[in-house]
Amino acid sequence: MRPRRIIEVGLPRLLAWCLLGFLFVPILVVIPVALTDRDYLSLPQDGMSTEHFAALADWGKGWLPSMLTSAGIALACAVIATALGVTFAVGAWAAGGWWPSFMRILLLSPMIVPPIIYAVGMVKLWARLSLLDSYTGVVLVHVVLALPLTVLAIGASLSNLDQRLVQAARSLGARPMTVFGKVILPNIVPGVAAGALLAFVASWDEITVTLFITGRAVVTLPRRIWTSIQDAVDPALAAIATVLLVVTVLALVARALVERRQRQQKF
Amino acid sequence: MALLVIEDLAKTYDKVTALAGINLSVEAGEFVTLLGPSGSGKTTLLMSLAGFTTPSKGTIRLDGKNITHVDPEDRNFGFVFQGYALFPHLTVANNIAFSLRVRKWEKAKIAARVTEMLSLVGLDNLAERKPRELSGGQQQRVAIARALAFGPRILLLDEPLSALDRMLRETMQKELKRLHRETGVTFVYVTHDQEEAIAMSDRIAVFNHGRIVEVGPPRDLYKKPSTRFVAGFLGENNFLSGHRADDDETMVEAFGTRFGFAPLRGHRERPGDTLTVWVRPEDIRIGQATGDEIGFRATVVENSFVGAVERILLKTVDGEEMVATLRSEAAVAAAPGQVVDCRIHPSAIGVLPGEASGS
Repeated sequence: MRPRRIIEVGLPRLLAWCLLGFLFVPILVVIPVALTDRDYLSLPQDGMSTEHFAALADWGKGWLPSMLTSAGIALACAVIATALGVTFAVGAWAAGGWWPSFMRILLLSPMIVPPIIYAVGMVKLWARLSLLDSYTGVVLVHVVLALPLTVLAIGASLSNLDQRLVQAARSLGARPMTVFGKVILPNIVPGVAAGALLAFVASWDEITVTLFITGRAVVTLPRRIWTSIQDAVDPALAAIATVLLVVTVLALVARALVERRQRQQKF
Repeated sequence: MALLVIEDLAKTYDKVTALAGINLSVEAGEFVTLLGPSGSGKTTLLMSLAGFTTPSKGTIRLDGKNITHVDPEDRNFGFVFQGYALFPHLTVANNIAFSLRVRKWEKAKIAARVTEMLSLVGLDNLAERKPRELSGGQQQRVAIARALAFGPRILLLDEPLSALDRMLRETMQKELKRLHRETGVTFVYVTHDQEEAIAMSDRIAVFNHGRIVEVGPPRDLYKKPSTRFVAGFLGENNFLSGHRADDDETMVEAFGTRFGFAPLRGHRERPGDTLTVWVRPEDIRIGQATGDEIGFRATVVENSFVGAVERILLKTVDGEEMVATLRSEAAVAAAPGQVVDCRIHPSAIGVLPGEASGS
């Protein structure tokens, strides 16, 4: 290879691989760590062990209940945030005028305000409303944090939709609810699904505000991880990370397969 | 009684007047075109008829009933949109069946009607396609079939052909005329294309600045316009300035000559008053005037071949420019720079009050 070619092609390529390595190696390293035979965070030394995976499934150790708690809260948050997001985004899309843009800024503000400031405010408010350390309190807070994500995802889907479809449907005799159910909703399914997924993930790994407003009753997975690393770094963390990694990869593969099948149907 | 009666309809947005007092009656089965330049109010009127725009003033009556504030879904008017606005997630058949499902027709009846509509617009074998798999012309047919499926009282069409190329536009014009004839549905059609309006309509309402300037059958508006705007907007026209001759009430002076003309309706010109004289390009001929014909001399400025005819730009002795369209063989003599004799029959000349240059 000539020197110029090394500089123009080889060097950028090397840099790209380094970057990829920087992104992925720390993630992949959790897999051997999860299989360690020691009870502290380390690489396997005298052979591999699945005891940390077994610990995850042990109800008494608290990991499993926390995962279920987080999953339940994230699911509730995804459902509520998506429902509200669809309502707002469709309303703003159909109405036009100045107030939708104003409301959009207001709705996106949870993304702009630093979570720590929001957390302090929520502690005060929830204390007054006796919602501290309650499922309702956590779900409500997560919904507020997830709402900007669902509104953005659904709004993006709507921006590609011809506004005259509403007029067309009404001229054909459809009442507003029918227009929503039979015309608008079927056309924004991808945006709604993306919004729901984003809301679920946002709730699933939310820690800052959750730390402030929960105690003993509601222990989400991020909260349990947080607590566990304060005394000893348990290799069970690496096991959890491995499980999540596998689930994520499976989800991505499933999505790719579904998309490929849809494309094949189209042609 | 007319099917649709529009009385004194007005619409203002903040300070902009979109419609300034529209009065129009549409008979059952008529093909009425709302023609005008963009921003003249024709689309606002159509949107008010559909119920998408709430008028500030006035009433719309259907069969004598006031429907000004009835919801669009309760009017039973079909609407064909400029960009078709087909439902992208539904097949052609389901697009057409939409209005029937909303009306809770029986399944068998819906299937029969969809088949009937598909064959009406000639798309029998495309029932299961999605709109994005169709060409522009096919999408337009689906949009029309969808709007006609439920048997609308009136079909409203908003520049439906503007997105199509010229050839397809002419085919679709004929298609629309056929559908109008076969279904007997009343059509209210918006366009800014005067050729389209002339070719299709029973009557044209010409719009300008939020008002209807003139209404009438295309032939009448073309042959006997009573305003300078319509004379200039519908077809090509030449305007010259003339004036009332001072000795006789029916004489007009123009082309360096004077000729008799019927008094203008509703106007009382005094001798010497300025008048607008118009003559269509196809009514100017080359050659020596005979009999009643008015003759004048003009210099050929430009001669361009445009297919069936030649367009010849003439300059009269008074310095006024006119366009004449001549059959090619008649135009041979008219080389640029040449001075030619021109002739016009007085019956082809129109006279309107006011200055020629103003609109």
